[in-house]
Amino acid sequence: MKLIAGVDIGNSTTEVCIGSFDDDGKVTFLASASKLTTGTKGTLANVPGIKAALEEAMGRLQKPVSSLSLIRINEATPVIGDTAMETITETIITESSMIGHNPSTPAGTGQAVGTILHIARLDQGREELPYILIADSSYSYEKVAELANQYSKRLNLTGIILQADEAVLVWNRLERKIPIVDEVKNISQIPEGKLAAVEVALPGQTVRMLSNPYGIATLLKLNADETKQVTPIAKSLIGKRSAVVIKTPHGNVKENILPAGEIYLEAGKTYVVNIDAGADKIMETLEEAGEVEDIRGQDNTNIGNMLSGIKAGMGEVSGETGGNIRITDILAVDTLAPVPIAGSLAGEACLEKAVGIAAMVKTQQLPMEKIALELKRQLNINVKVAGVEAVMASLGAITTPGTRLPLAILDLGGGSTDAAVIDEDGRVAVTHQAGAGELVTMLIQTELGLTSRLEAEQIKKYPLAKIESLYHMRLESGAIHFFEEAVDPKYFGSVVLLAPGEMIKLTQDIPLEKIAAVRSEAKKKVFLRNAVRALKKVAPENNLRNIPNIVLVGGSAEDFEVPEMLMEEFISFKIVCGRGNIRGTQGPRNAVATGLVLSYIGG
Amino acid sequence: MTTNKPTILIYATEPQEELLREICAGMEEEGIPFSIVRKAAMDFDDLCFESANDSILGAGIGIRGSRAALHLRLLPKGKQLFSTVNPTLSQARCLGANAARAVKRIPFKEL
Repeated sequence: MKLIAGVDIGNSTTEVCIGSFDDDGKVTFLASASKLTTGTKGTLANVPGIKAALEEAMGRLQKPVSSLSLIRINEATPVIGDTAMETITETIITESSMIGHNPSTPAGTGQAVGTILHIARLDQGREELPYILIADSSYSYEKVAELANQYSKRLNLTGIILQADEAVLVWNRLERKIPIVDEVKNISQIPEGKLAAVEVALPGQTVRMLSNPYGIATLLKLNADETKQVTPIAKSLIGKRSAVVIKTPHGNVKENILPAGEIYLEAGKTYVVNIDAGADKIMETLEEAGEVEDIRGQDNTNIGNMLSGIKAGMGEVSGETGGNIRITDILAVDTLAPVPIAGSLAGEACLEKAVGIAAMVKTQQLPMEKIALELKRQLNINVKVAGVEAVMASLGAITTPGTRLPLAILDLGGGSTDAAVIDEDGRVAVTHQAGAGELVTMLIQTELGLTSRLEAEQIKKYPLAKIESLYHMRLESGAIHFFEEAVDPKYFGSVVLLAPGEMIKLTQDIPLEKIAAVRSEAKKKVFLRNAVRALKKVAPENNLRNIPNIVLVGGSAEDFEVPEMLMEEFISFKIVCGRGNIRGTQGPRNAVATGLVLSYIGG
Repeated sequence: MTTNKPTILIYATEPQEELLREICAGMEEEGIPFSIVRKAAMDFDDLCFESANDSILGAGIGIRGSRAALHLRLLPKGKQLFSTVNPTLSQARCLGANAARAVKRIPFKEL
């Protein structure tokens, strides 16, 4: 009897599977273990993680690691994924001519037009003109209300803009009710003497006049050319509960298309596509190009720097020089990014078009042999680098109950989406596609405007809930969950993530429905698109219908919603698709390690 | 004494008037109605506990001198949600706003 260990070093975890072979060559699986990978995949720093995982697995068998007769480690695919985001439009507003924000409590409703007048200069107001009053926070709500009441007998005051959060307090004390926008931080930047329009939406609604170019034109009496100019303003005010637009004759607003650069695809001949053209055009060109040898970006542009940065990073890991490192695939995804507007008065952001890109680098080979030698030296056990990762994963995946050949696996990882098809004769076709979990994280971070990548990662991984009272929360599914003890008041009214053993409060106030929508949309954009793209490449005759089963393996297969999304997509092709269950017990993990043990034949 | 109107109840024993005024402004800005009930000398925890339990909205504020606290129904006596002694005016405003936010079920302001 021989004890054989299969070791799979992944980007995030190192998996171990222990099997014993009897004299007839029959295998029995005895134990498995999973530990966090130490260091970057494919470097000597992995060795401590491997040893820890081996010790854990052998500990379960109550045997020393030295009783192993062979350790088989995976020949890691020399691919590495990286992601980047490029904004391709930019809104520039000079001479601060708009405010659009969601103060929690504006007051009054409707629109107002008037010339801006500071509260300190009320006595200079002229009777025939309509005015919009502005007051900084040095004026108390009582003082503002008192002055407004006093002067509204003589002047035509139509609206008020406040710096403090006191709109309701002022409004309650006004004799003549007018709309009030509050919480405008940089109120000193509002130009006096200019014509402005103020709008506060009805309860539960959003602004209607100022989010419509013709609405702005009506209120501020603009001609056709000026109306065209204010269109970006109207666009950025969509969805706001209150807004101010100021007419500045020399002010200017424009939507710029940034020169984001060109991508060159080398595939026999060179295909050129501009980032500005958007994700669909880039992917179309990529498909047209066929087998790609290398992808470059235009020098001294954002995309050029990004792609050469990826190559440099990969060079450090593998110790190879520039020429051997080639980008063989990219995945481009259209997205919207909230970008803060320069010169804004209340911290407004405008949604800009952006393209997210995941790139994949192929090198000659990762130095797995070095790891094998080091492991052999430390443990004094025979170590062998054996088998292509995807082939091993396929072998492991077949142990999922209810599968048969030909079988396809989809390995949804962090950096790349890999697919392999193994047919009845044991032949395997393999492909690696750029774009997986990390691109999803980046899309979530960008679209929700989060400052922390960790938070985006957590949103990707955990379901949402809203704490509705100190004693209960409403889950994303609509179900209600009660607490035994009152929760910490810091959670009250907030959206939280249900991580195992704790609740994580989100740092920004974004509605639960929006987070859920962005999250599942990002997963669909990346995983659905890539799954179809990858499977088409490996399917017999490039036809998905020739694949009877798909087994999902890898870290992202454990996601709480991705497997269901893929299942729904593939059901229309009459394909059985589901999360793998390696050896009937391991779930989608441990496929490669299991395959490494299975592929051991004799001596 | 209980009132029938849905309001946040403020039970006050010899309150510092400026403190009371700011707390009320906090609730007014958030648009939630409140009523002030002046109480003869009472224990601070009792003031808070009873104000919350008597309020139809389940939220009450107890004030005694320069101490003020927000209490919610269902919380045990002595376990006020937010409690302050000698608060600044803006802290007092926040306490009032948070009482309203407890009723509106939106996240609290930092005190």
